[in-house]
Parts: sequence; C-alpha cells; structure tokens
Amino acid sequence: MNKLFYPVAAVLILAGSAFTFLTAQSWQIADGYSITFSTNSDAAGIFKTFTGSLLFDEQNPGAGKFDVKVDVASVNTGNGLQNKHVKSDEWLDAARFPTIHFVSRSISKTGSGYQVAGDLDLHGVKKTIAFPFTFQKTAQGGTFAGSFTINRSDYNIGKPGGDIGEPIKLDISVPVTKS
Amino acid sequence: MFKKPLALGIVSGLLAGIAGIVYSRVYYTINESDFSKVASAVRIVSASVFGGVLAAIGYTLLDKWLKTRGEIAFNLCFTLISFASLLAPIAVSLPRTIETPELFPGLVIPMHFFPALAWFTLKPIFIRSK
Repeated sequence: MNKLFYPVAAVLILAGSAFTFLTAQSWQIADGYSITFSTNSDAAGIFKTFTGSLLFDEQNPGAGKFDVKVDVASVNTGNGLQNKHVKSDEWLDAARFPTIHFVSRSISKTGSGYQVAGDLDLHGVKKTIAFPFTFQKTAQGGTFAGSFTINRSDYNIGKPGGDIGEPIKLDISVPVTKS
Repeated sequence: MFKKPLALGIVSGLLAGIAGIVYSRVYYTINESDFSKVASAVRIVSASVFGGVLAAIGYTLLDKWLKTRGEIAFNLCFTLISFASLLAPIAVSLPRTIETPELFPGLVIPMHFFPALAWFTLKPIFIRSK
C-alpha cells in the first residue's frame, strides 16, 4: 500500500497539472462594450453597466464559461420618460429584479464561430437559451460579439399585445483584454 | 411693412439665442450634464433666430388680415405655439451615449419661451402699438 502511495500521488499531480493547461483563458471586460436591445417599434436602448467573468479559449471552447450580469437600472433609451417607463414594474421592474444574469452551461465551436447555451435569468424568470457568437482576437485581447432574440412574454415583460411586439433583439459586443 | 417685424424677429432671436447659451452654461454648471452634442451654441442661436423670423412672418400676416386685432391674435398664437412646442424636447430620443436624457427637457423647455420673451420685450422699440 505504502509502495503505491508515491507513484499514485505523482500520477495525480501530473494529471492535475496537465489539466491546468486546459483551463480557459480569463478575459477582462474592457471599456467600450455595447449591450443594446431593439424591438419592432421605436422602443430601443442600451444597458450601460455590464460586469462578469469570461473564461474562453478558442482552442478549447468547451472549457469556457461566461457568467455576466447586466444592471437593469442602467438602461438608457435616450429619453428620460421612456427610461422611467422601462424601469417601472410594467416592464423590467428594476426595483424587484435589479440584474439580468446569464451563466453559460456549454460553449461549442460551430462553422462560423461559436455557440453558447446557458441560463438567462431575466425579470425573475430563468430560461435556457442558446445563441451564436464570434470572437475576434487582437494583440491585446479580443472582442466577443453576438446577438439573439427573446420573446418578452416568456419572461413576463410588459403586457401582451400593444405597440411593442413580442420579439426583443439583443446585440452584444464586448471588447476584452487578457487578465 | 415687413422690414420692422423682420428686424425685430432677428434681433429677438439673437437675444434669445444668447440667453439660451448663458442658460445652458448655468445648467451644465449646476447639473454637470453635457448636452453640447445635441444643443450646441450654434444650434441654440439658429433655432432661436428661426423662431424669431417665423414670428415676424406670423405677425405681419395676422396684422394684415386682422388689422387692430392682429396683435392680440399674434401674442396669443406665439405663446400657445411656444407652449405646444414643449412636447418636442419631452418626446425626443437622444443619442444613447448621453448619460442623463431625463435632464434634457429641463435644459430645453425654458429656451422654448426665450424667443417669445425677447419679442415681447423688444417690440416697443421696433413697432409702436396702434
């Protein structure tokens, strides 16, 4: 038993250290990110505050993980009254649900980029979504970009019908630097 | 006929523009909200002069059509139009790079009354009442 201890420990240490090479690169969110939403009407805007951790490696996308939060109160439609309206309990209810939270479950390579699937927690409703994204690498870092559409009634946002249609399109562009 | 109202319109527009620039500087100092991209000094002056010239045309037409009651009708219309124009800054969507759009109406709404104020202030100098 004792004879086996050191060889087994050596194998475990070697295996463990080998796995560290498979860990995805950690990226820091840089200034200039853009989280925009748009609808079929003139209701559109941006979220100004976006935080989180991004682990991603182009060679090993499966080891990546995204965990990001958007501050609902940071919404800006360009109009003061509209901002108030969007933050009210009729729409995003920023007082009760101050953050939009996305945690990835899996990231995979596709023909033209990558695909991420994960849980989107929005307006108190958590649903699994999947959307494609790209990663443009630069010398200092890179830029993640992707877009997807959700149905607002799936998240109990707003009343059904009305001028604003069901689909809400989100466009995301996040420049990052190596951390 | 149109010469004096036009001169009044241009001068009151310029005066309103200057008042608007001064007010925007004060507003920026108090609130630290920069709207210079959408309400620059040039835009404030040109919009004020535009309002003044429009008022001159309106005054001339109403004075011609309604004779003695023209001035009363004009004063009423100018005030009502200035008031109705407040809807524009309330409804406008600014570029989303502007951090505090809710402060924009507070900057622009008083300016919408400056051309009328300047017109009524300077009118006795340019046009004598009948």
